[in-house]
Amino acid sequence: MSGPGATGTVNRVGPLDRLRQRYPLRSVLLGLAAPVGAVLFALLASSVILSLGGHSPSHVFSTMLKQAERPTSFVDMVNQAMVYYLSAVAVSIGFRMNLFNIGVEGQYSLAAFGAAYVGGQLTGGGPFHVVIEVLVAMLVGAAWAGVAGLLKVTRGVSEVISTIMLNAIAVGLGSYLLHKLGQSSGNNIQTKPISASGQVAGLSYSGTQAKIFGFLFVAIAVGVAYWFITGRTRFGFRIKATGLNEQAAVASGVNVKRMTLVAMLMSGGVAGLVGLPELLGQTHTFSQTAQSGLGFAGIAIALLGRNSPVGMALAAVLWSFLGKSANQLDFIGVPREIAAIMQGVILLSVVIAYELVRRYRLVLQQKDVAAQLAAVPATAANQAVTA
Amino acid sequence: MPQPVQPVTAGTPATSELAIEVLGITKRFPGVVANADVNIAVRRGTVHAIVGENGAGKSTLMKMLYGMQRPDEGEIRIDGKPVSFSSPSDAIAAGVGMVHQHFMLADNFTVLENIVLGSEPTARGALDFGAARRRITELSRTYGLGLNPDVLVEHLGVGDRQRVEIAKVLYRGARLLILDEPTAVLVPHEVEELFQNLRELKNEGLTILFISHKLDEVISVADDITVIRRGRTVGTANPHSTTPRQLAELMVGSELPSPETRSDTVSDRTVLSVRGLTVTAEGGRTVLDDLSFDIHAGEIFGIAGVEGNGQSELVEALMGIRPIAAGTVTLNARDITATSTRNRRLAGIGYIPEDRQRQGLLLEAPLWENRVLGHSDSAPNIKGPLIDRAGARRDTERIVAEFDVRTPGIDVPALALSGGNQQKLIVGRELSGEPVLLIASQPTRGVDVGAQAAIWDHVRRARASGLAVLLISADLEELIGMSDSIRVILRGAFVAEADPATITAEDLGAAMTGAGTVSGAA
Repeated sequence: MSGPGATGTVNRVGPLDRLRQRYPLRSVLLGLAAPVGAVLFALLASSVILSLGGHSPSHVFSTMLKQAERPTSFVDMVNQAMVYYLSAVAVSIGFRMNLFNIGVEGQYSLAAFGAAYVGGQLTGGGPFHVVIEVLVAMLVGAAWAGVAGLLKVTRGVSEVISTIMLNAIAVGLGSYLLHKLGQSSGNNIQTKPISASGQVAGLSYSGTQAKIFGFLFVAIAVGVAYWFITGRTRFGFRIKATGLNEQAAVASGVNVKRMTLVAMLMSGGVAGLVGLPELLGQTHTFSQTAQSGLGFAGIAIALLGRNSPVGMALAAVLWSFLGKSANQLDFIGVPREIAAIMQGVILLSVVIAYELVRRYRLVLQQKDVAAQLAAVPATAANQAVTA
Repeated sequence: MPQPVQPVTAGTPATSELAIEVLGITKRFPGVVANADVNIAVRRGTVHAIVGENGAGKSTLMKMLYGMQRPDEGEIRIDGKPVSFSSPSDAIAAGVGMVHQHFMLADNFTVLENIVLGSEPTARGALDFGAARRRITELSRTYGLGLNPDVLVEHLGVGDRQRVEIAKVLYRGARLLILDEPTAVLVPHEVEELFQNLRELKNEGLTILFISHKLDEVISVADDITVIRRGRTVGTANPHSTTPRQLAELMVGSELPSPETRSDTVSDRTVLSVRGLTVTAEGGRTVLDDLSFDIHAGEIFGIAGVEGNGQSELVEALMGIRPIAAGTVTLNARDITATSTRNRRLAGIGYIPEDRQRQGLLLEAPLWENRVLGHSDSAPNIKGPLIDRAGARRDTERIVAEFDVRTPGIDVPALALSGGNQQKLIVGRELSGEPVLLIASQPTRGVDVGAQAAIWDHVRRARASGLAVLLISADLEELIGMSDSIRVILRGAFVAEADPATITAEDLGAAMTGAGTVSGAA
């Protein structure tokens, strides 16, 4: 279909040249400038705050780093990061379409309850036990997000509003169902514990009894699938086009309503996985002490990682490091809330830095185009003058 | 005959006569065109036209005169005194007013409210509409604007809206009016009314800077003409001794293209057949009323009409973007009335939307991804369920080469390109994959003469190989030159049929307003 001439010119270019052409050094450096700059700025800002409070910033940071090196807290950090990552991926699927799924919180807690309940009822089933739990979690998450998607598509209800409300409903619904279907253990109510076939074994890490959740592989797989679907498939292209310019997407044949619904369902499906690493790897039962707030952390991490599969992984690790290593600060008399301040400052400065870099990059690119084209009109103009 | 076109040199009229003077303005700008050493002298009480192709740097110049941008070098003098504007309010304070091409009016406000918006008169802290009304009535009478202060703007036509914009500027005390492409949205008789208004403003001692690329209009209204090409002032011209053609050649710097497509390629094979197409807007108003027409292979079917008479709705209905109330659409004998936009595209409809940036491009995505936009279901962009990146990139290279898209590469974002090059990319994309029908809505709006000629060429070539084209354009010369047959649309219905071989732009313009009959009617 394409012209024969074009094929010839492209083939002469080696793979390395092509890489260099597609990812010029300047654009790589620009890409790194925002996150690195933001983290440095956050370090600076927290140093100022610490100094004002009469603490030594270097002592605080070295304490945090040392804490991270301890095997037990390292494992803890990895586990937390993988949960954050799943949550961030769920949020970013919506972000790609300009959908703000604030409801990951409610979606994952209901999904975790559903998986715990169904998993607890099942006995045996071999490897399918875990598969069924995962499917239940994804379906429940997708269904809960789908409510918001349907409302948006049919009634034009903003998904921001509906998912916030659905979060509140999920809390109530979750504890109602827990009371109805759970069993009491001590003064806590929980679902029937999942038997061994429905558990996911952890990975050992030398120097500690704590295990890295086996769900690590699922989190990685989700990341790869996310990268592949959004970056390589026709479906992903339609999502991207809709996010960048909805009107143009409509004109080019994208059924935006259907895409909205599908994106919400996918986002909810991934959100359903958020509670599973802990449930299947450690607690084996759902109770009201299950970790909360993961959905909101996911929003921050998706923003920090700019919806990029790798970026969000790094952001999740950073977030988890800050959160976990701060535990140690109490022991040296520094309020651990400094970590939350750092998280906030990093997020805010990343968002600002990215916007600055984005604008700077556009200006540079326009300059490039202008410079490249200036050569052509200049000669043409000269000809016109002499003619 | 004296030389009609002079280069810009010293020896311009005495400074005291000049309302505004631009001396050696240079603006380096991260866009495609910068201003370099621009010199303009505008005599007080005249209409001074600034002509140039799109992208020649007219807008940048105007933005500097209106304080929206600052020049890097050079000087602007108003009434002989150097000025430096850092915002439009500085410009307004110095008596410079701008009438934008796109009206900035609130529909649900009255004329009065729109005019005072932003500089509301107050008396002891309360709004004082009485004083404003007196002032507007007086302005309207002095300058013959014929405005009724208490009418809602939504009830006004385009010409009246423009007069409201002018009144808005006058109300703020402007003595120098900048009009940016004021005739782009007007039909011929409205243009004449506007020019009458401009003459009255001039007679009252106001100075008008008139930006346009419609040369016959410029010649009829202007007292002086300055030509800008590639960011530089290349000459001044006396409208009484210059022909549009001479002006155009000065503007372009070379021989002019023309939109003629006289060789007949119309076959008798019907590609698109529309029967009884009716579209209603929300609220039940009929925006397309029982339209029926056929377009044959090799035929360019032109639709003339004042904007807002159903053209956009027709295009969107044909693309399956807008639901229809009644009627059928048949493409190559296949009923596509209920087919989705995606499947219509797959069936071979190419679509050049009227607003390329809003409907035709992903501005922040690279060119090759823009190649895939709207074609993410067909070769060479796909490999099963995946995007064939290599194939799409290769084909983008082809479009860039064949359609002369001026760009350093296919990885730059679409917004880095100038409008004409963006449009060439879209045209190249929509003519790819051998479409059977091309729906082209304002295909050359806002592109420079060179790109316009290239786009015409490509459409013509595709027509010769059997493409059916629905052409909607506000450029009547383009419409007459390109089309094999023309229909005039008015309030959602075809009101006349014109033969492009015999009709003139004036007659067509009259028919568009429902005023005249079409003399060249077939």
